[in-house]
Amino acid sequence: MTKSEPAKLVLYVAGETPKSLAAIRNLEKICSEHLADKYKVEVIDLKKHPQLAREHGIVAIPTLVKELPVPIRKIIGDLSDTQKVLVHLAVEE
Amino acid sequence: MTVVPIVSALTRDELEARLEEAEETLRAIREGEIDALVVSGGASEQVFTLEGGAQSYRSFMEAMDLGAAAFDTDGQLLYANQALCTLLDRPVATLRGQAVLELFDAVNQATFRRLLTQATTERQSAEIHFKVEGTDRSLLLTGAPLDFGVMRCIAITFTDISAREQAAAARESERMAKAILASANEAVIVCDRSGKVTHLNAAATRICVDDPIGKDFDEAITLTFAEAAELMSGADIVTMAAAGTPVQGLEAAVKTSSFDVTDVMISAAPLLVAGERTSGCVVTLINLTQRKAAERRQSLLMGELDHRVKNTLAMVLAISARTASNERTIENFQKSFSGRIQALAATHTLLSSASWENLQIKDVLAIELTPYTTLSGGRIAMDGLDVAVDSKTAVSLGLVFHELTTNAVKYGALSTPKGKLSVSRQAIADDGALILEWRETEGPLVTPPKTSGFGQTLISRSLGSGSGGAKLEYKPEGVVCRISIPRYGHFHMG
Repeated sequence: MTKSEPAKLVLYVAGETPKSLAAIRNLEKICSEHLADKYKVEVIDLKKHPQLAREHGIVAIPTLVKELPVPIRKIIGDLSDTQKVLVHLAVEE
Repeated sequence: MTVVPIVSALTRDELEARLEEAEETLRAIREGEIDALVVSGGASEQVFTLEGGAQSYRSFMEAMDLGAAAFDTDGQLLYANQALCTLLDRPVATLRGQAVLELFDAVNQATFRRLLTQATTERQSAEIHFKVEGTDRSLLLTGAPLDFGVMRCIAITFTDISAREQAAAARESERMAKAILASANEAVIVCDRSGKVTHLNAAATRICVDDPIGKDFDEAITLTFAEAAELMSGADIVTMAAAGTPVQGLEAAVKTSSFDVTDVMISAAPLLVAGERTSGCVVTLINLTQRKAAERRQSLLMGELDHRVKNTLAMVLAISARTASNERTIENFQKSFSGRIQALAATHTLLSSASWENLQIKDVLAIELTPYTTLSGGRIAMDGLDVAVDSKTAVSLGLVFHELTTNAVKYGALSTPKGKLSVSRQAIADDGALILEWRETEGPLVTPPKTSGFGQTLISRSLGSGSGGAKLEYKPEGVVCRISIPRYGHFHMG
């Protein structure tokens, strides 16, 4: 991961479904405990803006997209497996 | 098929990435990690949630008046219905995460968390208490496990039991009020706005007519106002108090069928219930019988004291004048006068220590003879003197005994070691007078005095008119004095 690039995560949720709420909560926890809040996180509610699903080809909700730094990576699910999330974000503890 | 150009347009890496994403999506669906899908329908996307029955639960719970919420096992709020938001006085947007728990203090939070833990396996209930805008609220929480969409969670209903608790508190308060009313020493009568008796305590029952509830105040109790008998009635007091004007400290007499007239002090105050307009009045009647008796007794004592002080001063003047006319030197005057005044003072001391009542002849005599009895070695004998006398007689006897004792010490039986003195009750005379005898023996030879001193005059004139008096005889073997105390009101045989 190149430190000079701004890091950006986009979390796609569907209103307040239990898994959407769980994903938001889990991501907040991971960011504060492991990522030292280095990522800029954007939460997109596809119930309100379904058309935004098209940009990242979202099919299942919740889905977390690591937009930057490239390559783009998607993590599908409620983010309850912290280790898996960290591996996908290529963050080394 | 036109697959090849498309496939060829994608790199192998891109294909692998797509395959990986598809597999990941399937895994997430299979493992219940997602609960919504985006479906492309032509030009626009649509989101479908996979909550299944949960959505119908929500619709159902929104329709309920009962507060309801679903929490995950960490205590995070998943859903709260509108009734709960109303109950907690918070908009739904502010209840996310653990905000519901944070509405409560530490103790109630602990109760809530315990319920969440226990309710993951079975139905449980707990009560929590908190304040909404300064008002105490109590909630009964019932939790049970629930499959909410693809999640296992806890459903909790919130029942507002504040009203129930307030009703219980009100019942307790009423019970306490009744107990206070029943325990009051004073008679208490409660009337409604129309002046009819609604409540009364045991003390009031004793001075009211039988079965006074529902009767007009005037019918329930017969009052007479000493200072305004024709102008005022009990109903006037009740009307004034019920209209909001308190009445305090009116004295009246109560007449009942079973008791004599009782003096009472009446006060009446408006009955205010929960700050509303007066709903009647509370009448308190304090029994003044004992106080009146005490006042009468005090007034009597004041009169008596006044009378006695005047008498005593007159007596002191008389003693002074008489002593002065019989004594030739200032020293003798001083000695005789002091002795007589001291005798008077000693009797007064006795009287006041006996509350001016029940003083016995032997007490009056003993105080005069005290200086000689200890040294007399049985020379002084008293018999039958356990007779109570009134204060006036006690004062006179005190002076007579003082003169006789002074004479005996100077010239009579108490002036020599061998002389003897006996004071005894002799008889009741025909007219009811009590006869005492002072007899001196074995003293020096007695010769009657040539002139009559004040002492002799006092002895002769003491104990007043009629059957009362004292007769002194100067027999050669010793002085004998017969003292007669009139019957009526002057002495009481024990």
